[in-house]
Amino acid sequence: MAMAALRREGRRFATPLISPRPIAAIRSPFLSEEDAPLGVRSISTQIVRNRMKSVKNIQKITKAMKMVAASKLRAIQVKAENSRGLWQPFTALLGDTPTVDAKKNVIVTISSDKGLCGGINSTAVKISKSLHKLNSGPDKENKYVILGEKAKAILVRDSKKDIELIITELQKNPLNYTQVSVLADDILKNVEFDALRIIYSKFHSVVSFLPTMATVLSPELVEREAESGGKLGELDSYEIEGGETKGEILQNLAEFQFSCVMFNAVLENACSEQGARMSAMDSSSRNAGEMLDRLTLTYNRTRQASITTELIEIISGASALEG
Amino acid sequence: MASNAAVPFWRAAGMTYISYSNICANLVRNCLKEPYKTEALTREKVHFSISKWTDGKPQKPSKHFFGLFRSAFTSHLLCLFCMKNLVFRFIFFY
Repeated sequence: MAMAALRREGRRFATPLISPRPIAAIRSPFLSEEDAPLGVRSISTQIVRNRMKSVKNIQKITKAMKMVAASKLRAIQVKAENSRGLWQPFTALLGDTPTVDAKKNVIVTISSDKGLCGGINSTAVKISKSLHKLNSGPDKENKYVILGEKAKAILVRDSKKDIELIITELQKNPLNYTQVSVLADDILKNVEFDALRIIYSKFHSVVSFLPTMATVLSPELVEREAESGGKLGELDSYEIEGGETKGEILQNLAEFQFSCVMFNAVLENACSEQGARMSAMDSSSRNAGEMLDRLTLTYNRTRQASITTELIEIISGASALEG
Repeated sequence: MASNAAVPFWRAAGMTYISYSNICANLVRNCLKEPYKTEALTREKVHFSISKWTDGKPQKPSKHFFGLFRSAFTSHLLCLFCMKNLVFRFIFFY
């Protein structure tokens, strides 16, 4: 019924609306009423109605995405918090040495495959780039290992030359340790490094994520650092059982440390991604609601104006007949 | 304690500690009984795609991984050997 009324209205106003300024006619609901074409008594409300419908649909979609992100977040948050226990012993043993001076730096940037999750991916890329700049020098080498489509899209544009490995489609199945460790294994086999620097967003709460760097040193570098004293100097006070040399132990440790740190980093990043998506979708459905309110107001005002005009015309016509 | 002697073997086969421990984990998971076994084995699904880049260009074969043991057949055999070694050593120890 509404459509029939609309069509009738459309026919009545079709000629003046479409013929003189077609573009203005499309935009007219959002401009002030003085902007309407000359000779038009009222404006077609069809466009506003269509717009309202599409905004409503978008709001429904963003609300659904928020719900999905919230439920995914809950599952992954437990995993991420549990995985923190994996790297903590390594930090206690080998320390965290972000300032270490290494010749071959490999920056592992962790990002998501999907978008619509606020600024966490661009933050990770920004941090990676500034780290690249910070560590660059005459006889130094910086390479990127990229996880996820989003960081790939940005870094391919301006740092093509430094990309070593790109890994995507990580989150097809729920994340598990085996997967991440196979991936860490592949990184270790394909990349030469003195220090691996893993950039990810650490999950703090649903609305706050800290961009974080974890450093994994190569066994040679650990040994050198331990000999020169400093933070790693205490490593010599540990006793090694069995027939293995310290180099072997350190190599095993470094490999296992890398896979554990990667596991935690990937989980934390996935968790932050869902949190960021949740808050982004929340604010976008709020914005859609605001827009809908504004559009409804415009729509009602226009409708009221056209009714008033018609009433005035009828009354003045009647009074002219009487007089 | 007993696995000490195994290290040079898998290192010589080009394995890292990570792949060694993964294979061991797989063997342990396979030792579970049925309802738990399938559940534990779902936790070792591996899926990602990897592409190596040199000089700003992706190298041709971009690989997709779907399973844990893709070309690790030989290393698998070797690891079985290591595990057997380990079990024997345990028996000997007791």
